Amino acid sequence: MWRNVLALRQVSQRTISTASRRQLENRVSESQKLFQEDNGLPVHLKGGAKDSLLYRTTAGLTMLGTMYAVYYLLVSSMPKKPN
Amino acid sequence: MTHQAHSYHMVDPSPWPILGAAAALLTTSGLTMWFHYNSPNLLIIGLTSTILVMFQWWRDIVRESTFQGHHTPTVQKGLRYGMALFITSEAFFFLGFFWAFFHSSLAPTPELGGQWPPVGITPLNPMEVPLLNTAILLASGVTVTWAHHSITEANRKQAIQALTLTVLLGFYFTALQAMEYYEAPFTIADGVYGSTFFVATGFHGLHVIIGSTFLLVCLLRLIKYHFTSNHHFGFEAAAWYWHFVDVVWLFLYISIYWWGS
Repeated sequence: MWRNVLALRQVSQRTISTASRRQLENRVSESQKLFQEDNGLPVHLKGGAKDSLLYRTTAGLTMLGTMYAVYYLLVSSMPKKPN
Repeated sequence: MTHQAHSYHMVDPSPWPILGAAAALLTTSGLTMWFHYNSPNLLIIGLTSTILVMFQWWRDIVRESTFQGHHTPTVQKGLRYGMALFITSEAFFFLGFFWAFFHSSLAPTPELGGQWPPVGITPLNPMEVPLLNTAILLASGVTVTWAHHSITEANRKQAIQALTLTVLLGFYFTALQAMEYYEAPFTIADGVYGSTFFVATGFHGLHVIIGSTFLLVCLLRLIKYHFTSNHHFGFEAAAWYWHFVDVVWLFLYISIYWWGS
């Protein structure tokens, strides 16, 4: 993200060193090749290993949270025992 | 290899709708746990999972359109209808809060001292920071239109400058509004004045943050060459949303800040 902010400054002023030039080239065609590969992967996993990690983290967190929510729903539905 | 005989997009199976629904469940029940049992854990899990789902779902839409080419003119038409309907629903959302404001302010009760603003409330001066905020949002409407023209004219440098300026103006508004909230001589707990003021302007502020984020994502995509001079609907959707946020502010300024003081 920060690289993009720095890139933005350079892009609007047009002073670009060779090192960061790769950052600002049009790399859409590389992404198009990656995501049009005939490998049968659904789009949410087609970017590679990072996609699977992020998906599993999200699904795991959501499922744990749902179990937590259902547990507390059941607890809150029960009458409190009088002393 | 089979090819479709229509111009619609039959999406790949995706986990985001169900996980998004679950995240909404966690966020709402998390709010309940926080309000009634003083426990923020579920709310934090809910907000985190909501953000994760949003990031991945919209990432996938960028992949399907820019990288896979599925957004035909027919698909784009559907997206236009969708965004327009969504913004319309948001307009109705704000209409409710304006209704509440006018309900209480047009006929102030004896408990308020029979006047609006109520007895004991010192409203903010509409000619100070609120006027500056109005100028900021109006200017940002100009810059986002400049950005759009630059995109259609394939002027990359100016498009980036104009969109950057728009985003900065949005953040400036948010910063000023946050400072106003901190310095205000009344709170949300100060009767119906406080409630109507902070709920209406608060939801508006949330929409400014959402709109600024949407524009920032568009800026990053613009830098990465995702938009072409005649296909850039993501940007157009962000610009529509931003104009909507601007218009809501104008109504807020005129009715709550100006008439309401």
